[in-house]
Amino acid sequence: MNKFLIRMVGYTFLILLAMEILVRVLHLYTEDPPRFIDDLGVEKRVPGLNGYAVTGNRNQNFSEFKINAAGFNSYREFNPSKSKYEIALIGDSFIEGFHQDYFNSIGKKIEKKLDSVEVYEYGYAGYDLANQMHLIYAYKNEFNLIDEIIIYLNYESDLGRGEYEPNFGRIAMLSSTVFKMRDNIKLLAYGSKIGILEPIKKMFSNKGFENNTNIHSNALNLEKQYLENFKSLAKLYGLDKCKTTILLDSRKTSKSFLKYCEENNINYIDFAKKFEDTTKSVTLIYDRHWNNHGRKLIAEFIVDFIHNKKNTDENCNQQASSTQLTK
Amino acid sequence: MLFNSLEFLLFLPLVFFLYWFVFKKNILLQNLFLIFASYIFYGWWDWRFLLLIFLSTVMDFFVGQKIYQNLNVKKKARYWLWVSMAFNIGMLGFFKYSNFFVDSFIGMFSSLGYEIKSTWTLNIILPVGISFYTFQTMSYSFDIYYKKLTPTKNFIAFTAFVSFFPQLVAGPIERASNLLSQIMDKRSFKYEQASGGIKLILWGLFKKIVIADSLAPIVDDIFANYSTYPASSLILGVCLFSFQVYGDFSGYSDIAIGTAKLFGIELMSNFKFPNFSRNVAEYWQRWHVSLSTWFRHYLYIPMGGSRVNKTKSVRNIIVIFLVSGFWHGANWTFIFWGGLHALFYIPVFLMGRNRMYADNVVGEKSIFPTPIEILQVLLTFMLVTFSRIFFRSPTLTDSFQYMNRIATDFSYEPYVHPMGYRMADFYILLVFFVIYEYLIRKDERNPFKFKSKVVRFLLYAVIVLTMLLFYDDEINRSFIYFQF
Repeated sequence: MNKFLIRMVGYTFLILLAMEILVRVLHLYTEDPPRFIDDLGVEKRVPGLNGYAVTGNRNQNFSEFKINAAGFNSYREFNPSKSKYEIALIGDSFIEGFHQDYFNSIGKKIEKKLDSVEVYEYGYAGYDLANQMHLIYAYKNEFNLIDEIIIYLNYESDLGRGEYEPNFGRIAMLSSTVFKMRDNIKLLAYGSKIGILEPIKKMFSNKGFENNTNIHSNALNLEKQYLENFKSLAKLYGLDKCKTTILLDSRKTSKSFLKYCEENNINYIDFAKKFEDTTKSVTLIYDRHWNNHGRKLIAEFIVDFIHNKKNTDENCNQQASSTQLTK
Repeated sequence: MLFNSLEFLLFLPLVFFLYWFVFKKNILLQNLFLIFASYIFYGWWDWRFLLLIFLSTVMDFFVGQKIYQNLNVKKKARYWLWVSMAFNIGMLGFFKYSNFFVDSFIGMFSSLGYEIKSTWTLNIILPVGISFYTFQTMSYSFDIYYKKLTPTKNFIAFTAFVSFFPQLVAGPIERASNLLSQIMDKRSFKYEQASGGIKLILWGLFKKIVIADSLAPIVDDIFANYSTYPASSLILGVCLFSFQVYGDFSGYSDIAIGTAKLFGIELMSNFKFPNFSRNVAEYWQRWHVSLSTWFRHYLYIPMGGSRVNKTKSVRNIIVIFLVSGFWHGANWTFIFWGGLHALFYIPVFLMGRNRMYADNVVGEKSIFPTPIEILQVLLTFMLVTFSRIFFRSPTLTDSFQYMNRIATDFSYEPYVHPMGYRMADFYILLVFFVIYEYLIRKDERNPFKFKSKVVRFLLYAVIVLTMLLFYDDEINRSFIYFQF
C-alpha cells in the first residue's frame, strides 16, 4: 500500500510538472496583465506590460497585447493636443481587444483609413457605462482635448448601475495570493481558462444563482431601471452631446432607450445593419468577441460616421468648446 | 454520480482510504461499507432509485434460496425462476418499456384507422442502470437453477454484489460466480492490481473525454440536421458516432474495471478492441462482452443454441439479436438495429466462420495486419457503422431518410464544426487513436504495456495533455449507455 501511495503521489507530481512545462512551452495559457485603481479612481492595467492572450484549449486564438503608459491595451500612447484630431474609443473587452493583436485593432484599422487621426482605445474588460463615463469625467483635461468620443454600449450588461464606485474588493481579490498563484502556475491559469476549475468554483460558490435571479427579473422594470441609471450617470458625470456618440447594436438595445436618446439629442450609431448585411461570421469561434471581420466592419462603420460628421457638424465642433464636462 | 465528475474525484479516494484503512480487518464491515458507498453513489442521481435496487436485491436473494431448495423438484424450481424473471422483467418492463408498448399499441390501431387517445402513457423516470442490475440479478437466479452456483446465505455480500458501484449503472454485467465469490472472500491490497486499475481509469477517461465527448457535438449536429447536410457529412456523422459510442461505453467500462481493481476486485472485460473485428461474429465477441455472453448463456444456449438444426439455430440467432436490440432501448430503431445485426451474423454463421476468430486478434503473428485482414476489418467496421444509423436516429423514419439521403443524393462538401473548430484536429486524433489501439490490441486490460518507464511516463503525460486540449466544460458529460 505504501509503495502504491508513494508512487501515486510521485507520478501525480511528475505529471503535473510535465504539464506545467508543456503548457509553458506551447503557450497554452493566457496572460492577464494585473489591474489597479489609480488616484482618480479609474480601474485599468498596470502600464508597460506586453504579453499574449490565448483563447481556446488548443491555442485557437493567439494574440499579442501591449499596455501603454495610460494603462490600456494600445499600439500608441495617448497624448491629446489641440493641434491633432483624436478619437477616443471607450468600451469593455470588445474595445480592449485582447483577442486581437494590438497592432491590428479597431483603432489601427480606423487610423489606416483616416488621415491625420489618432485613435485612443480606452478599452478594459469589465467596464460598464458607469466606468466609462467616470473615466471621461476623471480625465476631463485629456478628454477636453479629444475631438470625438465614441462609447461602446453593450445595453444588456452596461447599465446595471447609476453611479460609479471603484471596485477595490475585486482588485484586492485579483492581487491575492490565490490569484497570484493561479497566474504564476501556468497549468492553473490554463485549467482555469478552459473551465476545468468551474466545477470546483461552483461547489464553493452560489453566486451563479444570484445572477440568474437578477437576469430573470421583470424585463420592463429592468428597462426603466437601465434608463434611470443612464440619466443618473449623465447627470453625475456629464455628457458632451456634441462630441460623444454611443456605439450600439439596436438588436440588443431597448426601444425606449433609443427613443430617449433621440428625444434628448444624444448621438448614437447603430451597427446592427452592418452586421446583418454581412454573410461572414463577425465573432470569434471560441468566444463571442468580434473577429477580424467584425472589427473591420466596426472600423469601417466608425470611419463612415466620422466622415459624415466632419461634413455636417461643423457648428457642433465650435459649440463643443463651451460644453463643460462638469458634475 | 458520474465517473468524470468532481464529486467522483472526491468520492473515490475517500472510499478507497476508508475501505483499506478503516474497514480492512473485518470483511463484514468492509462489505457493509461497500454497500453504503454504492448506495451513496447510486442515490446521487435520485434517492428513490435506491428503493428499487433494494427491492430487487431482497427479491433475488430470497428467490435464489427458494430455487436452490427446490432443485430436486424441477417444476417448483422453475416456478421460482419464473418468479424471479417476472419480477425483474416486470420491473424493467414497467419502468423502461410501458410507454413503448402503449405508444406502439396506439400506433398500430391508428394505422388501422382507429384513433385512440394516449391516456395510458405514464410519466415515468427511467432509473439509471436498471437494465444492467436486473440482468445481473437474473443471472444469479439462472446460475442457481442451472446448478452452476450455490446461493449465498450472506445477505450483506449479496447486496454488495448487486450494488457494487463501479459496475452498477452501466456494467460490465457480472455473474455471481465471478463477482459474488470475490466479495465473499477477504480481499488483500495488491500493488500490481491497484496500479493496473489506475492505468485503466486513465485510459477510460481519455476515451470518454477526448474521443466520445469531443465528437459528441459533431454527431449531434449531423444527426439533428441530417436533412440539410450532404451525403459526405452524413457518412462522416455515422462514422464518428461509431467512435463516439465506442469511446463512451468502453471508456466507462475501463473506468469501472479500473475502479474495481482499486478495491481488490476483478471484473470481466467488456470490450476487446471491437473495431478490429474481421467479421460481425468476432465483433460480438469483442463488443459489450458481458451482455453478449449473458444472452448466449441464458437465452441462446437454453433455446438450443447451435446444437439444433440450422433452421432453429438461425431462428435462435434472430431472437437473440432482436432481444438484444430491444434491451438497448424502448424504440423500434433498436429492434431494427438488432435485426440488422442478425442479418449480418447469419451468413457468417452459415459459413461456419462465427468462432474462427475467437482466440486470436488481427495481426496475431505480425506487426502489421495482412491486406485481407485490413479489408475484413474495414468491411466489418462499415457494416457495424451502417447499422448505427438506426441506433442513433430518434425514429425509424429518420433512419430511413438519413440512409436515403446518402444513397440517392451523393455529394461532397467539407464539414464545418458546429462551433467552428478545426476538423483536422479530430481526424488526426482519430488516426492516432486507431494506431494506438492497434498497438495494444492484444491486452485490453493493460493499455500501457510498455517495458520502458520513460515511454510509459511520456504516454501518461501525452494522454493527460490531450485530455486538457480536448476538454470542454460545456458538454453534457453523461454516458450514452446510462439511458439503457
